[in-house]
Formats: sequence, structure tokens, C-alpha cells
Amino acid sequence: MRKLASPQWALLVAAVLAAPASAQTLKIGAPQPMTGPDAPFGDKFKKAYSMAIEEINAAGGVNGKKLEIVIEDHQAKNALAATIAEKLITQEKVLVLTGGRASGQAMEIASVAQRLKTPYLIDHPSADMVTTKGFEWVFRNNPTGSIYPSGFDAFIVEYPNAMPKSAAVVYDNTLFGKTIAGAVMKFLKSKNVPVVAEEAYPVNTLDFKPIMTKVKGTNPDYLLLMAVATTDAILLTRHAKEMGIEPRAFVGFGGGFGVADFASQLGPLAQNVFSSAAWSGNPNDPRTKAFYDKFHARYGIWPHEHEVEGYAAIFILADAMKRAHLTGNLEADRDEIRKALAATDMTTVFGKVKFGNWTGPTGDPFTNQNIYSPEHSVLAQWRDGQLLNVWPKAYAETALVFPDPGARK
Amino acid sequence: MSRRAAALAWACGAAAVAALPLLVKNAFLLHVVILILMWTVLGAAWNVLGGFAGQVSFGHAALFGIGAYTTIILFLKAGVAPWWGIPLGGMAAALGSVPIGLICFRLRGPYFSLATLAVAELAKLVALNWESVTNGPVGFLITDLPQLRLLGHAVDWEAKTPFYALAALLMGFALFATARLRQSRLGAYLVAIRENEDAAEAIGVDTVRAKVLTLALSGFLAGLGGGFYACYFRYVDPDAVLNIGLSMEMVFIPMVGGLGTVCGPLVGAVFLTTVGEAVRERFQVGHLIFYGLFMMIVIRFLPEGIWGRAALALRGRRKEAKGVGAA
Amino acid sequence: METFVQSLVSGLLMGSLYAMIGIGLTVIFGVMRIINLAHGEMVMLGMFAAFFSQKLFGIDPFLSVLALAPAMFAVGVLIYRFLLRKVIPGGELNTLLYTAGMSLLVANLALFAWSGDYRTITLSYGLAPLRPLGIAVPVALAIGFGMAAAVTTALWLFLGATDTGRAIRATSQNREAAILMGIDVEKVAVLTFGLGTALAGTAGVLLAPSLYLYPTVGELLIVKSFVIVVLGGLGSVPGAIAGGLLLGLVESLGAVYVSATYKDGLGYVLFLLVLLYRPAGLFGVGKS
Repeated sequence: MRKLASPQWALLVAAVLAAPASAQTLKIGAPQPMTGPDAPFGDKFKKAYSMAIEEINAAGGVNGKKLEIVIEDHQAKNALAATIAEKLITQEKVLVLTGGRASGQAMEIASVAQRLKTPYLIDHPSADMVTTKGFEWVFRNNPTGSIYPSGFDAFIVEYPNAMPKSAAVVYDNTLFGKTIAGAVMKFLKSKNVPVVAEEAYPVNTLDFKPIMTKVKGTNPDYLLLMAVATTDAILLTRHAKEMGIEPRAFVGFGGGFGVADFASQLGPLAQNVFSSAAWSGNPNDPRTKAFYDKFHARYGIWPHEHEVEGYAAIFILADAMKRAHLTGNLEADRDEIRKALAATDMTTVFGKVKFGNWTGPTGDPFTNQNIYSPEHSVLAQWRDGQLLNVWPKAYAETALVFPDPGARK
Repeated sequence: MSRRAAALAWACGAAAVAALPLLVKNAFLLHVVILILMWTVLGAAWNVLGGFAGQVSFGHAALFGIGAYTTIILFLKAGVAPWWGIPLGGMAAALGSVPIGLICFRLRGPYFSLATLAVAELAKLVALNWESVTNGPVGFLITDLPQLRLLGHAVDWEAKTPFYALAALLMGFALFATARLRQSRLGAYLVAIRENEDAAEAIGVDTVRAKVLTLALSGFLAGLGGGFYACYFRYVDPDAVLNIGLSMEMVFIPMVGGLGTVCGPLVGAVFLTTVGEAVRERFQVGHLIFYGLFMMIVIRFLPEGIWGRAALALRGRRKEAKGVGAA
Repeated sequence: METFVQSLVSGLLMGSLYAMIGIGLTVIFGVMRIINLAHGEMVMLGMFAAFFSQKLFGIDPFLSVLALAPAMFAVGVLIYRFLLRKVIPGGELNTLLYTAGMSLLVANLALFAWSGDYRTITLSYGLAPLRPLGIAVPVALAIGFGMAAAVTTALWLFLGATDTGRAIRATSQNREAAILMGIDVEKVAVLTFGLGTALAGTAGVLLAPSLYLYPTVGELLIVKSFVIVVLGGLGSVPGAIAGGLLLGLVESLGAVYVSATYKDGLGYVLFLLVLLYRPAGLFGVGKS
């Protein structure tokens, strides 16, 4: 007994305890908007990352080492995102990066990651451009903007009598809106559906009534709405209904159409609005359901697109780290992780993941884009304040309602 | 300051700037310094018009944006190397400033400021919608900078040093230009205009010509800054280079540092950048809160700016030392 | 035809609320020659006050005006008394920049306190629009319009029929003469700033149910406010009303008949044209 208390033991114990934490933790860097107008999104990712990391660490970590995430605030500013990415790479010495949130910031982060040879796993930003530049250090799990409409495209082709007789497209004049609108209109054109109205609006428009007045005059069979900002998503829907547009379906594209606030702010006006969202997450899959419930139990809100993407990203990174041969040399480790990511072949809560080089709907070649992305876009519908997947059938949580009961007869 | 003392100060400054990258190896710190240098150029650009000529512009982002877009478009579409592209960006901004000046200089004081605001917002709208030229909201991305050999070595664009050198050069030029302006006849005209434009006109100063020339210089400097931004950050889209927040930051920096002084923009840039970073880190709060607060504090208590006040204090003490009364 | 009438009505309704924002700004300029860049933030504060009144106390936003208008008046008085008064002697430009700093501070403090989450106010009675003669008129906007008209009339009476109102108008017309006539211009200044702020806050309360709220909405509104007051002539209340309605119409008709993307641009171009060729405003009643 006395031997244990002797100075030598004490020194040994102290030496072990004092070993730098970094030798024991695998650091992931995540620039996110934590303040500023995009902050609500940054918060979603923070929650998702935290939950994923706790789960992995509780199960023993990655090859015995704990994961650690360092989230830094880029305030939704491109230049700041670049600054932070550099900081995370050079100061914090993270092994990999994820996050970004908006495409402009993702572009900067990807550019930095590529130059400073650090793997960057994109979890949410959707601009096609980020994975069409041939950056071998940049990987993307989620669908790009041009792939977003796939769920909607599948629906109108497969569901009986769903092909639109005409469509009005109202989209935000940003990278996001234009990409999606472009992809949708291209598809509609290929099916000979006339686009009777095409209206671009500036983000954060206060008043959509004039646009909706114009659109109403064209009497569209389908009203397709794109919004990068949740506020626009809500107002678009509200003003469309206030102005009395009565299509067979309202379809929203954009994160804002899938968040809880959409229903809570619009109340009954949200009923039966479709959302062609980036996430499927087959709710009929027990793993997904378990995730839903766990997230809800912990945070009190139901996860959607952003949370799932963030959560899945951590698992993808952990999987890569597990397979990578890490020696403690930062540069070598980053390269090993990159190689491991390139060899990823797994299933996450978000869906199947395998990165490949293929050509997307815009015709540009992707590098390291998830090859299963087209399957990850699914059509969901708002029913009584809940967003439920409705198409494809395999992922459906409920039967869908079509045409909209308020449609013009 | 005597000419010898001034020359000595310049030499010391230049030496410090040249020595810095040898002492500071930390890439992130160098990055912050590069930001400071870039902001100094932008602050100096605004200072030329706002501090010397007394014309408060809220739309300088437009000139910055013209420079950024010009440089990046010339490089990506015409293969013009950035070291030519940056000065060309400056020239484009200077040219662009002429119609802006023609419209806005017909107005005085706050009306002028509001007009510049409207012009900058229009510039952003144009950039967003004139897709054939600006690529609209998609913007431009530089993936690889061209090869360059200097003194027998290939320049490593992945390192910070080349950008540091470039930024330092631009800053040196900006401060030098400001100093020359101050000494020149045009500088004297500007002071007259700032103090009382009508009186200046009355004694025969061609105020229109003076203002247009100054705006052109201001535009040139802002354009240089924009071109540098394009090369360093490599991604240009309308929101990044034409937003009103940028215009306001270009006002704050010389305001806090010292309007109408040569070194004011440098002091302002150092202060605001370091405090901004520190605040962001420590308080997780948007640095803009502190920008706003500092603006208010400076205008209320330190209208000459930090450097301006320091310079005044130094001058006062020197006069006392020489035994001359306040003159 | 229906489209035209609908756009016209929408434009006028929205314009009436824009006008309220403009009146506050123009009144302050008229008396004090200050262009208050933080005006947008005052509107924002009004919007959030209405939101929280409803959320925390269950008070209908339109009723909350009764309490919020005086509160905003007090806020304006305090701002003037403790912040602006010492800065004004430094000159127009200094004051302008000071209010710019204030605008940044208030907007970002709000962002910090209330997060960037956008909020909306839902009125249980406002879900379906009214449809007089087949034209959709959102309930919240209609009530807002009505109250804006009432407030403006009350203001009109105040400025025209009361001594204080006349003192304000006198100071606005000619400060030196007002002093000579024995008017306490300092007191007028305090009152006016309070009044302008109260008007801004009220505009915010009336606007809140028709828009969504977020802390940086002031940025958007301030530019519109300038367009309005310049169109109508700086310092003129009827000018601000006309300017607000005009802007509402231009935006509404512009979005329908020209393009939604450029509708903001139309406002700016109009703004520049007026500044250049009719700086006294379209109706020639403004001051320089």
C-alpha cells in the first residue's frame, strides 16, 4: 500500500494524466453560422454533431480514441468562413472539416481545404459547384441543388395522373434557387409540361402578393416554390394562398419548407403542401426511427434535413477514421483519412454512402459526390403540423393527399 | 514632423513590415495580418474621399466589387495573370467611379451619402442579374493561380508569404499615395472643400474636378483591394463583394483610426481586426456589436480617431518641448 | 384588369405602412436636420415589442399600440437626451455616422438577444383574407392601413391645431426665427425625436402581423424609408405619406408588370432621379 503512494507512482500517474488530450482525441473542425441570421441552422448542426459524437465516444470511440468536434462561428460570411477554416486547420490542427451550411461559405472552406490538404466532408451545402471543381480533398454526402427535385420528378412520373398540365415556378435569385429551378424546369420541359410563369425574387422579399397576383393570372396546375430562406418559404405560401391561387399541388423546394416553423407559423395554411427535400431517411427503417426518437427525447424537437445530415456526417467521418491508418503525423493522417473516405461504402441514417466521380443533372462532372444522392431526395407532405414522407412508396410514412382539396375544379 | 523624421519613420515601418513574416511563422496569425493589410488599403481608399475631401460615401463596396470582379474575370476568362489583374481592377474601379461621381457629386452632404448607398445597391442588383458577365449569384472561383518564378524560385501560392508581400506592397502604395495627396495642391483643395465647399468655389477652386479626381484615386485604391480579395479568397459572388456591410466597414476603419490622417486607416484596421477576432473568440458574439459601439464611442469622445488624437497629443507635446505656445 | 386592381390595392395598403415609417424619419429631419440611420432599428424594436406582447401577455398587436407608442416615445427621448445631444454639435456628417454606429449596435444586440430566428405573428382572425369585390385584402394589412390612417390624422391635427405642434412646424421651417419667437427649440428637438421614434415603433407594430420579424430587418427598411422621404421631400409629412404610397405602388406594379428581381432597382433609380432633378421632392415641398 505504501508503495502505491510513493513519489515514483505519483509521477507516473501524473505523467499519464497530463498526456496532451490531442494525442487521445480525434479532432473534427466545423465552421457553422452560430451568430447572425443563419444561427438557427448552426444550432441544429451543433445539436446533431454533439449527439453523434457522444454516441460514438460512449461506444468506445474510434479505435479507442475519442472524437472531438470544434465548432467555430463564421457568421454566414464567406471571408470569415475562409479565415475559420484556416484557423481550424493550422491552429486547432483538426484532422478533417465538415459543415459550412451555406454554399458561399462552403466554397471558401472547400477551397482552403483543398489547398491545405485537409479532407472536407460536406454535410449540407448544396451548390453543385463545390464538387464539380475536381477537388480531391472535398467529399459530399448530401444531394446537390440540381438533384433536390428528384423526389418530385419521380412523383409526377410514377403517381397516376400526377403529371402537371402546367406549372408556375417562383424561385429565389440565388445560387440555390436558380439551380433547383433550372433543374426542375429542365425536367418539366423534357416531359412537355408548359411553364406558364417563371418568377425570380430577391431573398427576403417582404411582399410576395404582387408576384402571386401575376401568377394567379396564369392559372397554373402546379405551383412550385423555391426558397433558400425560411422566411421566404413561409411568406410565399401564405401570400400564394391569400391571393387565391388554387393549383392541384403546392410544392416547396428548400430547407425552409421542411422546418417545424413552417407549420407552426402557417397553421392550416401549411396543410397538404409538399416538400421535395434533401432527406429521405426511410422512416420505416428501424435505425432511422430510433434516431428520430432519440433526438426528440433529448432535444424536444423532431430532426429534419439539417440534423440528419450533421449526424450522419460524423458517422461517416468516424468510419473513415476507423479504417485509416493513423500514426499521429498530422499531414500523413489527413491523407490517410482522405483515402479512407474515398473507399467509404456504408449506410447511415441519411442513407447509403459511397463517393464517386460521375456526371450530374447539370452535365458537370462530380468529384467525390455520393453516388446514391438521387435516391436521397424524397417527397414529403405537411399533414396536421407534421411533415411526413409520401413518395416513393417504400419510404412513405402515410398515404398522400393529391390533388389539393382546395384545387380549382 | 521634420522631413528627416518622417523619412526615418517610413523606413522603420517598411523594415518592420518586411521583417514580420520572418518572425511570425504561424499561418493563421499571418492570415490575420494579411486581413489587416487589406483592410488598411480599403480604409485608406475611403479615407481619401471621406477624410480628406469630407464626402461621406456609403457605397464604396461598389468600387471594391468592380475591382474584385474585374481581376477575377480577367484571370478566368482572359487568362490575365493576377499581378496585372489587380492594378487593372484598380483602374476599372477608377473608371467606374467617374459615372458614380457624375451622378452623386451633384449632391451635398447627407444627400450625397444616400445617393452613394443607392448606387451601391444598384451595383449589387446588376451583379446579381447580369449573368453573362458576372455569372449572377453563382460567382467565380479561382482554383489555381498561375505559375510565377521570382528570383529563381517558383512562388508557392499555398503559403502565406507571397500574399503577405503583395498585401504589404498594396498597403505601402495606399499609404504613400495618401501622404502624397496630403502634400499636394489637390490635397489643399480638398481641405478647402471639406471645410466649406462654397467658399472654396468662391476662391476659384475647381471643386468638381477635385472631387472627381479624388474619387478616382479612392476608387483605384478600393479596386486594388478588391483585386487582392479575389486572388486571396479566390471566390467572388455579389453578396461577398458588394454588400452594404462592406461599405460600412470601409467607413469605420478610417473613422476609428483617424480621418484625414495617413496612418489612421492602419491603426483603425489593426484595432478593429484584432478586437473583432478577440471578441468573436471570447464572446461568441458578432463582432458587429463592438463595431457599432466603437463607432459611437469614437465619434462622441474621439472624433479625430485613435491615431488622430495620438498625433494631436504628440504635436502638442512637441510644441511645449520647443517652448512655443499653441499655434 | 383584376390583376391590375389587385396590385393597385396591395400596393396602396403596403404603401400606407411604408408611409408611417417615412413620417417618423421626415419629422426628425425637418426639425433637427438629422438623418437617423437607426430609424429602421426603431421600427424593428416596435415589431419585436408587438411580437413579445402577444407571445408573453397574449395582447393583440393592434391593441398593444396603445402601450407601445408611448414606450417608444420614451425610448426616443432617452436616446436623444443621453446619446445624440452631445454629438449633434459635431456636425451633420458626424451625427450621420453616429446613427450608423447606433443602427449597427441595436440590430446586432437584438440579434444576440433574440437570435436570428425569424418570427411571425399569427392572428387567429387574420387567416383568410377579406374579399371585397373579389380583390384579396389580407385582414392584418387592412387593419394596419386603417390604424395608420387614424394615427396620421391624429398627427395632422396635433401638428396643425396644438401649440406644441405648431412649435414643431415653426422650428422645422426656420430654426432661428423660432428661437426669436420664444420657442424652446431644445425642448422641441427632444419632443420631435421622441415623436419620430414613436411613429417608427408604431409603424413596426402595425407592420408586424403582415411581415416576418428578424433583428436585421432594419437594414431593408431604412433604405426604403430614405427613398420615401426623398420622394416626398425631406421634412414634409404629407410628402412622406405620398412618397410611401408611391413606393408601395411602384413596388407592387413593378413586380407584376416589370420583374420581381428588378423591383427594388426601380425604387433606387427613382430615388436617384428625384435626388438629382427634384431634390425638394416630387411635390417640391422638401427642404435641403
